[in-house]
Amino acid sequence: MPATETHCPYCALQCGMRLSPPSAEDRTAPPDGGERRRLPVTVEGRQFPTNRGGLCQKGWTSASVLAAPDRLTTPLVRDATGTLVAATWDDALDVVADRFRAVRARYGPDAVAVFGGGGLTNEKAYQLGKFARTALRTRNIDYNGRFCMASAAAAANRSLGLDRGLPFPVTDLDGGQAILLVGSNPAETMPPLVAHLAGAREHGGLVVVDPRRSATAELTDDGAGMHLQPVPGTDLAVLLGLAHVVVHEQLADTDYLDARTTGLDDLRPDLAQWWPERTEQVTGVPADDLRRAARLLAHASPHRGGVGAYVLTGRGLEQSRQGTDGVTAAINLALLLGLVGRSGSGFGTLTGQGNGQGGREHGQKADQLPGYRSITDPAAREHVARVWGVDPAEIPGPGLPAAELLRALGTPGGPRALLVHGSNLLVSAPDAARVRERLAALDLLVVCDFVPSETALSADVVLPVLQWAEEDGTMTNLEGRVLRRRAALPAPEGARSELWIWSELARRLDAPGRWSTDPSAVFDELARASAGGRADYSGLSHARLDAHETATNGADGGGLYWPVPSPDHPGTPRAFLDTFPLPGGRARLLPVHHRGPDDVLDTAHPVHLVTGRVLQHYQSGAQTRRVPELARAVSDAYVEIHPLLAELYDVAEGDTVRLTSRRGTAVAVVRLTRSVRPDTLFMPFHWPGENSVNRLTNPITDPVSGMPEFKVATVRLAVVTGETVGAAPVAVVTVAAAPVAVTRGGAR
Amino acid sequence: MKVVVVGNGMVGSRLVTELCASAEPGAAALDITVLGAEDHAPYNRVLLSEVVAGAYDVAAIDLPGVVDPRVGVWAGVCAVAVDRAAQVVVDSTGGRHRYDALVLATGAAARVPELPGLRRDDAALTPPPALTPTGLGCDAAGAAASPLPGLLAPRSDSAGLVPGAHVLRTIDDAREIVAASVNARHVVVLGAGVLGVEVAVGLAGRVGPDAVVHLVHPRGLMNAQLDAAASEVAADAVARLGVHVRTNVGAAAVVLHDGRVTGVVLDDGTQLPADLLVVTVGTLPETTLARGAGLDVDRGVVVGPDLATLRDHRVYAVGDCAQPPDGGSGLVGQGWDQARRLARTLAERAGALAVTPAGPRPEASDGVPGDDCSCGPVDDSSVVKVKGRGVDIVAMGVSGSARPPACGAHPRRTVRLSDPDAVRHLEVVVQGGRVVGATCVGGGAVAADLVAAFTRGTPAPRDPAQLLVRAVGPVGGSAETPVRIPDRATICRCNGVTKGDLVQAWADGSRTVEDVARTTRATTGCGGCKAPVCGILDWLRAAEPARSAPAAPTAPAAAERGEVVRSDSRS
Repeated sequence: MPATETHCPYCALQCGMRLSPPSAEDRTAPPDGGERRRLPVTVEGRQFPTNRGGLCQKGWTSASVLAAPDRLTTPLVRDATGTLVAATWDDALDVVADRFRAVRARYGPDAVAVFGGGGLTNEKAYQLGKFARTALRTRNIDYNGRFCMASAAAAANRSLGLDRGLPFPVTDLDGGQAILLVGSNPAETMPPLVAHLAGAREHGGLVVVDPRRSATAELTDDGAGMHLQPVPGTDLAVLLGLAHVVVHEQLADTDYLDARTTGLDDLRPDLAQWWPERTEQVTGVPADDLRRAARLLAHASPHRGGVGAYVLTGRGLEQSRQGTDGVTAAINLALLLGLVGRSGSGFGTLTGQGNGQGGREHGQKADQLPGYRSITDPAAREHVARVWGVDPAEIPGPGLPAAELLRALGTPGGPRALLVHGSNLLVSAPDAARVRERLAALDLLVVCDFVPSETALSADVVLPVLQWAEEDGTMTNLEGRVLRRRAALPAPEGARSELWIWSELARRLDAPGRWSTDPSAVFDELARASAGGRADYSGLSHARLDAHETATNGADGGGLYWPVPSPDHPGTPRAFLDTFPLPGGRARLLPVHHRGPDDVLDTAHPVHLVTGRVLQHYQSGAQTRRVPELARAVSDAYVEIHPLLAELYDVAEGDTVRLTSRRGTAVAVVRLTRSVRPDTLFMPFHWPGENSVNRLTNPITDPVSGMPEFKVATVRLAVVTGETVGAAPVAVVTVAAAPVAVTRGGAR
Repeated sequence: MKVVVVGNGMVGSRLVTELCASAEPGAAALDITVLGAEDHAPYNRVLLSEVVAGAYDVAAIDLPGVVDPRVGVWAGVCAVAVDRAAQVVVDSTGGRHRYDALVLATGAAARVPELPGLRRDDAALTPPPALTPTGLGCDAAGAAASPLPGLLAPRSDSAGLVPGAHVLRTIDDAREIVAASVNARHVVVLGAGVLGVEVAVGLAGRVGPDAVVHLVHPRGLMNAQLDAAASEVAADAVARLGVHVRTNVGAAAVVLHDGRVTGVVLDDGTQLPADLLVVTVGTLPETTLARGAGLDVDRGVVVGPDLATLRDHRVYAVGDCAQPPDGGSGLVGQGWDQARRLARTLAERAGALAVTPAGPRPEASDGVPGDDCSCGPVDDSSVVKVKGRGVDIVAMGVSGSARPPACGAHPRRTVRLSDPDAVRHLEVVVQGGRVVGATCVGGGAVAADLVAAFTRGTPAPRDPAQLLVRAVGPVGGSAETPVRIPDRATICRCNGVTKGDLVQAWADGSRTVEDVARTTRATTGCGGCKAPVCGILDWLRAAEPARSAPAAPTAPAAAERGEVVRSDSRS
């Protein structure tokens, strides 16, 4: 097998990787010893602008999941005794198709719902949207990106007319004099990005807004910048305070505002209410720090002779019931400073999941059609219907957004059957106990996955699919750069691509149109469907992407960024340089208001809880908990507590504590650290069951984006005596010819 | 429902905004009339001292106006009488406005002390005479008719003072002080409360070293908020900003020459030269209208917890003119909170409460954490922070000289950090497990942390002294030499490589960064750890002759305990 140039399976940075056959001197095991698992490929970083040859621990160890001992390689169907048993593909697909048909006959087409994922390739995201609308004929399709990018997307569309995570190459950040990072912790969530912050740090210009002294916040030490540490849930107010200083100290770029924006007259008086002393009282960030940070950003801005400044947002700001407004406040600040649509400066959001960008452009979203088109736009429906070979009237309207969809499962009038792809809902959705209840209330749950995730184990039918190194396709990374994922290995016997599964189901459901199983052909169809849309891929093909990659050879400055509206179009590395795709070509300044989190502090819930990730794990942990090195490095669910708070509750390092919110309880092992505020606990969300912090999180959603309020809850804590929290055991299912005894979790 | 709001200041305008937002826009149930005495759109009065200081442009402090078809704003038109029987407000143009609900948001006026020479003899402060209807047509029903702006509105609160003397309450006052400061060489500020300190510091910055600014106060600086010890440190802090502070001495008279201010005589006989005198000795709630309407007036318009006046439940009062059961704080936070609550009440009364998309609240709570202390709840809007360049004075809750007694059930602890040489004085008061008060002079970020703890009622640490230093930060100092870095400390975060791992790699034969990268993957992520890795290799190399076999690393053991990766130690 020759070396294969591809990209990392995990985050949106999509670091360049080379997969080679394991050599004699290979790393069949982690360098620090441990379980020796025979790995089918050797992973190494390769030159690529986002990672420049580097990889984080997740990337280096990614081949481990390919050799997971509990890899799913045969379909499983729950039998009459409630046990998942191996089945043939034909039998399993027949069961799925028959029961979908039965549900549809009894309850109507919307009773079959689809839940997708931001890790699916563009081809799969596109085909899944089409499958839902034309084969299942349901309006109810949404995806886990709703838990990730929805607020940033809604805000960018509203203010700038276009949602492309970073509307500039990530390497542009290198030249920035100042970078404001709001609610993002890339030092843990996408480590190679940190290299792109080095320039700003040298200028003393990295400003991190985070209630925790995160690994990223520590990068501001020693004169590299500033850490603003707001009370959880008040980052929107911090942004209003910064904007106030910019406006009232006359640091705004008035020429830019005159020429390229609307709404300043409405925004200015609104900001008058956020003078620094008041902002301090709301956020806990000292008024002088707000002034200093605002001036630092202004002095780095081009209109004041600076080299360039960037405003970047992350989930900390976005996963909130006011997430869309939070990002709007960040965009307002960037517009006031004249940063957006200017080479060397900008606004962006750091997309989380591997294909979080592409996944939100091609029709997995409840309200969208391919090419980032609105499903309610008659012209868009007509265009897409033509590509799909259906009557526009047959395309359903907008469905329920994710959190609402999950709440409706199994309720009267709600969906009765659910098809899940690339998402481990039981761990990653808010108010997890309720999600378990809702999934158990379904007539049919079908999960496609390559390992027995918690959600797969509670399904009625499990369909084994391919992993990243076994499939071809494209991903669109956080910059809007379309890149190629390439197969390095044959698929294991028994696992199938989703494209094949949908073509088989489509045939069984008598769906119209073509259902190719060739990713390249599906991409060509996607390209046609996206033509003329905001995310226009019509000038791209696998062949063009391959040729471009060979020609640029991973050098900075290469890359095909959408929109690419024709085969000879060079792509669009930087958006908005001339105009904004909004009326008059102008960006909108929009006044927004701070309401704060839904959960309030009271005597029963006296401290804040914030949630997030650790470097070693990815999302629900279904993959990374199966990598011995990563599982060993961070094995158990833990909660970070400040020593002063720990003393108050007589909690010591290593104790197990029970946290209780208005939704439920979770348990975790205590880690004492002075990096959290004494009024705030931090707990990562990668673990299942009673270690799942999402049993505590608040499912209330942002009214615009549908984003749940993952980031802030209020809780109480108590020491658990006489109990220890073991590492959540990875349920190992060895599938042979024999039935597998996995009883469905949940209420049934 | 017809709502008349008298007053278009920070609280009145906020009320109208909130009312419009909480009632269905389509519903025609609301008809709101706003009478604003000042001929100006609502502006941020809190920032007037910043305008005087030159930090804000006078044009830049406008607040959002309401653009809503249900609202008619009459700028420059005063209310002069209320006929409660007829439910009618009479304005200064003779217009009559019927109401179902009347909201008094008339604010406060600057207090002018009885000081010989201060007032113009011929300019007694009398309300504008009520005109008989003149056909100007400003009945609320005829909203299309345009009022004559500025017809009878008071130009500024300083209008009754002798030339050279000013109060600071309105935007016109601020403009006049700014204009007067241009040629001022001797400034006297009378009254060293919060506003006096802000004005004195602001003017000292504005006039520069060529002029002298005196700040005169009969008691200790900011004595309403600060006790004697804190006050002294605060006075020192203000003095270091170029203000000549004269505390514990009052003013006896204003010296005039040709009818203009030329000096101020103090109680001790000292005479301070003055060409600009700013009087900042507090405010008085503006209650004339309420008094005339026969409503209960004490210091302010007496209202119940629902903000309705005791005698007439169709009349409400909010903001500085109101006297709620727990007293008025004079702070805008309290007024805005009242505006929010009253908007909700009125929207409900109008039967047009918008359906909020949020689900039902799990518990009724107003954002104020539950307080199980029988001493009474903390007013979390009572944080006073002095604005201005270089000033860092914050007081909240239990502070100053007059303190409510603690109850027996919840003993109080008061912990002080006195550091006068560094112009720092911190005090925190803890009771019932939470911060109930604090005083910070020169506290920096600690003050911001205390505000957060005080307003949210989060659990206070067992030893309140911990509240007087910053709680979040690295553990100890940075470990500057490799010897002192613990083995479990993560050096390469991207790949979870500890110092112990590097030591082990060295022991196994790795000698260069490239070797280490191959065997441990350190430096192969973001590359940010290259320097510390080199440093550790250099240290190991230097130690090589002396120690052929480096001590066995402890890191793997620590890793099994799950301690390695989240180490707080930095490279």
